[in-house]
Amino acid sequence: MNAPKTDESARPLLALDGISKSFGGVRASHDVSFAVERKSITGLIGPNGAGKTTLFNIITGVYSKDCGSIFFDGQDLGKSPVHKRVSMGIARTFQNVELFSGMSVLENVLVGRHVRTKCGFFGAVARLPRHREEERLAQKYCMEMLDFVGMAHVAKKPAGDLPFGWQRLVEIARALASQPRLLLLDEPAAGLNAMETKQLGELLGQIRQRGVTLLLVEHDMSLTMEVCDYIAVLDQGRKIAFGTPRQIQADKAVIAAYLGQEEF
Amino acid sequence: MKPILRNILVYGAFIGVVAAYGLLEKSTYYLQLATFVGLNTLLAVGLNMLMGYAGQISLGHAAFYGLGAYVSGMLTVHLGWSPWATLPCALFAAGAVAYVVGLPTLRLTGYYLAMGTLGFGMIVNILFREFRRFTGGPSGLPGLPELTIGSINLSHGANALFLVWGCVIVAFFICERIVDSRMGRALRAIHYSERAAAAVGVNTASAKLAIFVFAAVIAALAGFLYAHMITFISPSTFNFLASVKLVAMVVIGGMASIWGSLLGASLLTLLPDFLHVFAEYEMIIYGLILMLVMIFFPEGLFKNLVKLYERAKNR
Repeated sequence: MNAPKTDESARPLLALDGISKSFGGVRASHDVSFAVERKSITGLIGPNGAGKTTLFNIITGVYSKDCGSIFFDGQDLGKSPVHKRVSMGIARTFQNVELFSGMSVLENVLVGRHVRTKCGFFGAVARLPRHREEERLAQKYCMEMLDFVGMAHVAKKPAGDLPFGWQRLVEIARALASQPRLLLLDEPAAGLNAMETKQLGELLGQIRQRGVTLLLVEHDMSLTMEVCDYIAVLDQGRKIAFGTPRQIQADKAVIAAYLGQEEF
Repeated sequence: MKPILRNILVYGAFIGVVAAYGLLEKSTYYLQLATFVGLNTLLAVGLNMLMGYAGQISLGHAAFYGLGAYVSGMLTVHLGWSPWATLPCALFAAGAVAYVVGLPTLRLTGYYLAMGTLGFGMIVNILFREFRRFTGGPSGLPGLPELTIGSINLSHGANALFLVWGCVIVAFFICERIVDSRMGRALRAIHYSERAAAAVGVNTASAKLAIFVFAAVIAALAGFLYAHMITFISPSTFNFLASVKLVAMVVIGGMASIWGSLLGASLLTLLPDFLHVFAEYEMIIYGLILMLVMIFFPEGLFKNLVKLYERAKNR
């Protein structure tokens, strides 16, 4: 099966086509289809239990889908494993921030660079000039990423010792270290105060300027409405609306899903 | 430049201590005891790579120790091979078994992985006991040749000590380099969160398998050295209790600490020797030590000693 043949730059970066997933009898995703445009910021919202995180896990390959297809840059992802998708250019962060707590901040970001480096066990022991060079370039790139999110000053600290807001930034730097084309952010503003949320919004804009497409699950409505170009709304596993923030705010089905239905 | 200087100093001192001990100690008994400390250190450091760094518990590690010993033992005794020719076979056999066993087993986590490896260790031990024709059964396989180079015997006294500790030093060097590398970081990442490691692109299954095979090959090397030093092997050396003892060495010395393996192996090798009056209560004493370490020094003795030293220095 092939994606619709169109001009390459006009083709969406990510296209979901009829994704369904059930856990036992529970339908977590039901026939979800939408597309994420290149260099856009797309939001994924919906009430609790709407299936947002499930969809994230299907896109990144943690869960296998029951049916439907995912096209990344026109390529069917099929059953490719998580690490393969990362090397294709899909990176993610977690809702509760999952850093490698005992490792230094820089080491965390270096693990994020894993798919763009090659040194194996032999290289680790032999440390030939090309292995040293690769390591040096990886460290340089990762320091740049830390600098980009403003965390270069804590590079040597154990990641687990940082305040939560900083850990989130380090996690974003770690995801960026793999040079993704698509970055999935699972509730990036959760646990942040108003000031930090505002800075996060600016950072998301800067990430987009680097040419990275963003897809985020977010509960903070003001952030979502402010930074997103498009929003997909899920309710009970189904996509009930897709459009610009303005269209979504006026959508009857969305209002019904969030505030409860008055009629019927 | 500073870390390089530190390394030269540390390894220089290490080699110096081993050389001085080997040259000055005249008692065969104490030379052999020190050689055993080296063998256990070798086993512990390999297991520590798997357990301490990658966070994968193995309760069957003695099986690989035994495989190294038995493969080499059977080839030399029954087929009359030179011990040196059997070394690659022993290492390859243990690595291959680890690969085949690791493929399904390493998909398990936590207690399930512990149970899986425990079962594997027991099966291997039963095979050692039951294949009498080849392994000599429960009474063991006698008459293994000693290791020699020309007229130099490497299975006795100071020579054995130098050979074993030479392997330990090389293994330490290799392990330290692996830990501080792309693959080492990936393994440590798996320990903290396998989910996150996969999400940032680490092929967790193959990384775990690789370190499992690595640990097995190191254990097989120790088994090979042991077999030709003692020239007699029996299944009880490689049983479940041996596996548990190895785990205890790693935990007591310190998880994710290469030099901790040295401390843990030394303690658990020397202690029973000094406390042999308590031989019958050996396991109880181990259990007690393990409990106390877990309660008071959860990071292992080595890291706590380093912390104490740093605190004293800063005062």
